[in-house]
Amino acid sequence: MQPEERSASIDIENVNHLFAGGVRAVCDATLRIHAGEFVSVVGPSGCGKTTLLNLIAGLIELRDGRIAVAGAAPLAGRNDVAYMLARDCLYPWRTALENVMMAGEFRGVPKAARMKRAKELLGRVGLADFENHYPKALSHGMRQRVALARTFSMDSPVMLMDEPFGALDAQTKLQLEDVLLDLWNAEKRTVLFITHDLNEAVTMSDRVVVMSPRPGRIIADIPIPLPRPRSVRALQKDPHYHEIYSNVWSRLEEGLSQNGVHPA
Amino acid sequence: MKTEIQRNSPTVLIAQIVSLAVFLLLWEWAAKTKTVDPLFIGQPTKIFAYLYQSTVVDQVLLKEAVWTLSETAAAFVLGSVAGIAFGLLFVLYEPIERFLDPLFSALNSLPRIALAPLFLLWFGLGPLSKIALGLSLTFFIVLNNTVAGARSVDSDLIILARMLGAGKARIFFKVTLISAVPTIFSGLRLGLIYALLGVIGGEIIASQHGLGQLLSLLANTFETNGVFAVLFFLAALGVTLSKLMSAIEAYLLRWR
Ligand SMILES: Nc1ncnc2c1ncn2[C@@H]1O[C@H](COP(=O)(O)OP(=O)(O)OP(=O)(O)O)[C@@H](O)[C@H]1O
Ligand SMILES: [Mg+2]
Repeated sequence: MQPEERSASIDIENVNHLFAGGVRAVCDATLRIHAGEFVSVVGPSGCGKTTLLNLIAGLIELRDGRIAVAGAAPLAGRNDVAYMLARDCLYPWRTALENVMMAGEFRGVPKAARMKRAKELLGRVGLADFENHYPKALSHGMRQRVALARTFSMDSPVMLMDEPFGALDAQTKLQLEDVLLDLWNAEKRTVLFITHDLNEAVTMSDRVVVMSPRPGRIIADIPIPLPRPRSVRALQKDPHYHEIYSNVWSRLEEGLSQNGVHPA
Repeated sequence: MKTEIQRNSPTVLIAQIVSLAVFLLLWEWAAKTKTVDPLFIGQPTKIFAYLYQSTVVDQVLLKEAVWTLSETAAAFVLGSVAGIAFGLLFVLYEPIERFLDPLFSALNSLPRIALAPLFLLWFGLGPLSKIALGLSLTFFIVLNNTVAGARSVDSDLIILARMLGAGKARIFFKVTLISAVPTIFSGLRLGLIYALLGVIGGEIIASQHGLGQLLSLLANTFETNGVFAVLFFLAALGVTLSKLMSAIEAYLLRWR
């Protein structure tokens, strides 16, 4: 399914969010993510990244500002938005295959079609032999692969990911980053990717957006001119990548100090 | 697993059989020599003779067991179905729970056996009063477990189901309910044993049939061997029921 170009963009304008109890989590955020773009958001813990993502997902009610996902207001459970968390959130009573088939099941995809799609995706994340395993019999990294396959199985043009690899060890993380990039290369989606790993943000994204400490405001929006397709593991040794990384790092420091914050 | 191998290893089994044999022999000796009055402790050979007589020859024990088991089954099924239904209702509509809470807490803290006279008055000497007693125990156990299980569902699983496109009903049946199954099951296992307890208790107090009635008849006529035989039979019955529930549970919850 090729999404129409304009239809998969995410537009965020002057969004503020104040939690009950007075915590100001997002402050005057304006951001435009184009269809097919891979954008990362980095920022210190507690700055409001998850809040911003959940506003876009429609899980938190938007009260101040405007958000349009593919031209429509946010709504949880939309067909054109996929969502993934740091926790794998696999349903323990379902096998790997049944977990991947779940989105299709909820979205009314015929059984044969969703089974075919689920098997294909499990194969692509390297778990073809584990289709019938229950989550308890899978390692941490394997479970997150299943979750990744499930996220792609939704065939949604927009993917919202909240630190999807945040809980993995460094090796597994590099592996899964490449799995994600491969899937993304094969089926271009609009990705909003939250992370607090700058290395991950730079290697994966077209743009890195930096948020300040709470109240989170967007203080930098840095394009990453690395050619695609990329391999996260190959990039680790690429001098050009390191140049860009230190460039981003200084832009980040600059942004933080302009906002009266002194990075540690 | 290592511990399982050890527990089922032949050495342990042999040790268990040997100590049981020694215990029975000591018991037999104490009864026979009247070191302890057999009126209180019976005599193993006579207990087994009674067991043989009442299960194989005249089958009294089996006939009474059929009464007890049918009453237990009825109490268990009715109590569980009602317990699960009310539990789900409470989870879906909390105001109903808040409304019924004072009544239910009061009933649940009441020693249920105290209701036996009332049940006898209402339902007579027959099976109904026993079923009511067993049911009153099973119901609250299953109810509490259902509510606890459905409330403890992982909130991230619910959020994810929502994002995957599931509506309220789907989320309830495919996420909330299924994740409550393990907790409901431990309630069912306990509920079954308590249904048996209620039924036997009811039969002991006043009945024309059942193992409880047999037990109190035997005790009142100082048939100590018969009392022990019924107790052995009840213990075996309890273990069998528990094992059966565990087997069903192990199959249904194989994903755990
Ligand atoms: N449901 C809530 N009610 C009240 N305050 C909240 C709620 N959720 C988050 N907050 C507050 O909003 C702020 C931003 O939270 P958020 O989860 O968006 O941070 P984050 O950038 O995702 O952090 P992390 O990197 O640690 O995940 C935090 O200070 C938090 O205390
Ligand atoms: Mg977060």
